[in-house]
Parts: sequence; C-alpha cells; structure tokens
Amino acid sequence: MNLFWQECKMNFKTMLVWALCVGGMCLGCLLLYDSLGESVEEMSDMFANLGAFSEALGMDRMGIGTLEGYYAVEISILLNLGGALYGAMLGAGMTAKEEEGKTYEFLNVMPLGRGRILAEKYAAFAVLLAVFHGICICLILCGFAWMGSMPDMRNYAEYHGAAYFMCCEIGTICFLLSVLCRKRPTGAAVGIAVIFYMMDIMCRVVPALDKVKYLTPFYYSNAADIFSGGGKSEGLLEAGAGAVILGLTLGVSFVIYKKKDLM
Amino acid sequence: MSAIEMIKLTKTYGRNRGIQNITLAVAEGDVFGYLGPNGAGKSTSIRCLLGMISASSGEAYLLGSRAGERGFSEALNRVGYMPSEANFYPSMRVGEVIQYAARLRGMDCAEEAGRLCRKLEVDCYKKIRELSLGNRKKVSIVCALQHKPDLVILDEPTSGLDPLMQEAFFELLMERNQEGMTCFLSSHVLSEVKRYCRHVGILREGELVKVDTVENLTRSKLHTLRKVKIYGAAEVPQIEGISEITKRDDVLAFSYQGEMAELVRALQGCEVKDLLISEPSLEEVFMHFYE
Repeated sequence: MNLFWQECKMNFKTMLVWALCVGGMCLGCLLLYDSLGESVEEMSDMFANLGAFSEALGMDRMGIGTLEGYYAVEISILLNLGGALYGAMLGAGMTAKEEEGKTYEFLNVMPLGRGRILAEKYAAFAVLLAVFHGICICLILCGFAWMGSMPDMRNYAEYHGAAYFMCCEIGTICFLLSVLCRKRPTGAAVGIAVIFYMMDIMCRVVPALDKVKYLTPFYYSNAADIFSGGGKSEGLLEAGAGAVILGLTLGVSFVIYKKKDLM
Repeated sequence: MSAIEMIKLTKTYGRNRGIQNITLAVAEGDVFGYLGPNGAGKSTSIRCLLGMISASSGEAYLLGSRAGERGFSEALNRVGYMPSEANFYPSMRVGEVIQYAARLRGMDCAEEAGRLCRKLEVDCYKKIRELSLGNRKKVSIVCALQHKPDLVILDEPTSGLDPLMQEAFFELLMERNQEGMTCFLSSHVLSEVKRYCRHVGILREGELVKVDTVENLTRSKLHTLRKVKIYGAAEVPQIEGISEITKRDDVLAFSYQGEMAELVRALQGCEVKDLLISEPSLEEVFMHFYE
C-alpha cells in the first residue's frame, strides 16, 4: 500500500484547499440564511413560479423558506459542482501526471505490476474524495448546528452518499481519460463536469431529453429530490445506471492501462 | 540462463521506425555496452525489456521472465534501472524518494542507500525540484543500486555527471559486477564503453549491426583498417583502399583498408621521413558502422 499512501500524501494539500473552499462556501451561505430575513419568502414564491426552471432547480418540490430547503435547493449546488470539479481534476491527474512528469520510468520498474499500480491509485482517489466530502459534511453540519436547526439526518446522509457517488462517477470517467492521455487533461475534466451539470438542467427542462437523466450523475444526486422524498425509486434507477457507467469505465481503464505504451 | 534476451524484437510506431529484429543475449555477470547514436533505438529496446512498451513482434526476457507474464514482477525486483532523464516527484525530498523506492520493493535498504549516498555525495534533505540533472542522476543511481540487484540497466548513465562522479559511479558498478551483478549500459560515450564493457552491441537505425567483445571488435578491423600518417610524403600512394585523406604541412594522413604488404610496396620509392601506422580506435570502428 506504499503507492496508495504516497498518492494520498501528495494530493492531501490540494484536497484540503478544495474541501475548505467548497465546504467553507457552503458554511458561509448557510450562515447568511438569517440575514436574508423576510425576503426569503418572497424569493421562495418567485422561484416557485419560474415554470420549467423551478423544476430544474428543484424549487417546485422544496421551498427555500426553511433552512433545510434553502440548503437542498441552493447550497447543495455549490457542493455538487465543487465536488464534481474536484473529483474530475483529481481523477484526471492520477496516471497522466506520471507520463507528463516522466516519473512513470521510476514507478513502472518497481515490482508492482500495472494492475496494482492502477488499483492503488484508484483507491487513493476514492479515499481522497471521501475525505473531501467528510470535511464538507462536517463544515455544513457545523453551519446547521450554529443556525440551531439540524436537517433530517437520514436525508442528509442519503444526499451526501449520492453526492460522493456522483463525484466518484465523474472522477472515474476522468480517471479513464487520464489513462488515455500523456498529459494531464485538466481542461477536458472540467468540461466533462460542467457538461454533466448542464445535461442535468437540460433533461429537467426539456421533456424530450428525459432519457439523458440516466447519463448524468447530477440527476440522482439532486438534493431537492432527496430531501423532498420524491422520486426515490427513480433515483435508485439512475444511481444504478451510474454504477454501471462507473464499473465499465473503471474496467476499461484497467484494460487500457495494462496494454498502454508508456512514453 | 541469460540475464537479458531479445529474440527478433521489433517495435514500430505507426510508420516510424523503432527497432527491427533485434536478437541479443547478455550473459549473467557480463558488462554489456549498448552503443548507438541518438534515435538508434537504445531506449526503445530497454523500454520493451522493462515492459513499459509492448513489442510489435518478437520476445524480450529479463532474468528469464517476459514482460506482462507471470513472474515478471519478481524479475523486476532483481533489476535496477536508471533512466536517461532521471525524473522524480518534484515536491519530494531526495531521502524520501530513495526510501519510497525501497518501500515499493518491500525492502529496507537504509544501510546500502546510506553508503551509496555518502560515496556519491548525495544531499538527502534537498527537494527534487532543486536538483540539477547531474544530482538527479545521482539519486537515480542510488535508487537503481540500493536493493543490490542482480541486473542493472543504465540508459546513458553518465550524461550530466562530472568526471569525478563518473569515476565514482563506475567504481561502484565494477565493484558490484565483481559480486556478480550484470550491467547493461546504453551509451554513446565510446570511451566509457571501451574502458568498462566486455561486450558491445552496436545499433544502427533500429537494427543491431554488430555484437562482439570490445577486444574483437577493434581487432577484427585491425586486419583490414589502419590509420596511416606519413611525415614528408608529397603524394598519396596509388593503391586501392585509401580513404579519409588529409594533408597538413608535410604530414599526410589517411585510412587504409587492405593488405599491409601492398601498402609497404606502394610506399617504396616515396619520400618518407617518418611513418606512423596505428590501430583504429573504438570510435573509428563505431563510425565505420555508420558510413
């Protein structure tokens, strides 16, 4: 597990910066809730009447009149997007950085085998992402506690589980991209995360694009859906599709990496 | 069993040439020089051997194991490799890199690593990003030798090292070779190959054109190729086999490939103040393969 620990160590600082930024932003926004005062109800009514866009943002199911609703509708977007971007960039750097920095010559002559190298790198990726979410979860809970209104813990756990899984799925797709590339595909990774987010918005707004919900991991990790309790069985289906995509992507990554010419 | 074996090893990059049909065996305990100019295919052969790139056809064996097959990881554990560029993780300290390399092999090499670091004057507290190429090379030598491998593969090992360090490095290498370690040394520095290697393989445009002992390689050409210097001669002897003619002041120099008796006959009657006939150097033999 030496490679695993080394990867965790090398990526720890960046992960901490991302977690503190994303978690801190969520915390800050939660603490701002009281200052919104009476305008919250007006905003809630206004947002609820935006038609398809209200649906896309989950405001037809949850209002921002409560702290929990405010978190599910507004703040979760920060966590979802921030987490997805971090997961994408982390995944994109895992193997490509070795070829970019020519360190593959150091690593690949060690008696590990390519399968183990990739497995330990992926394990480090999954753990770093879990720690990132752990820090965000703690910061957000601190915000709820400060505001004196705790969320429904079952929904909260379910949402963060889904958000973690969503980040893993996007990160794994970028992990495959990393296996395919010789240089860190950071731009493509950010693009993938943003495109998935846009796909989620589009499939909620345009009925003809309904099937796209099986492709975008943002769909099953929508906090408004989870906190409102609506469409749970449907969410499971999309998460299942996400698991299939993740599994396939990871499998393909192993197959390609084992045969790849490292140069 | 050969420490290294390549059988009809070929690697092509699309339309570009890599290496073609290389068949070579390096015996255990040998010091083998793998010679060729830049782009001849030295690094490509080494990467095929180490399993970093897959061969288009043919086979490559490292201590009896083939890349990607069962037992290859065990073979790699007995191999030390020093790449030509010697790149490490820039944020790590030298000591951490050396320790990390040992840990990845599941070994504790602290004692040997310490000895090597002292000998090569490696500063373990510096960050990799602060090191020059020469200093990174020294770290690479420690990583390649600290686990006392049975075979060490060195890709242009002395580039970037100062002459004193080159001497210390070869001293270490020869010391280990005395203990039975096989050395496979890719280089285009002919003097070091001549000085330290027992066998030489010469690569030209991806093909192995010659494999022999250093001694035989220079001697085989000795019968046919000589460097001739004539002091006082005004005209070039009119015989076959003369090339690379230069004339400076009253010194006529040329290469001669042919029977010595014929040259002596041709020189009869010429005005000769002095005559110098010498063996070709390894450099000249090497260049001969590229003419």
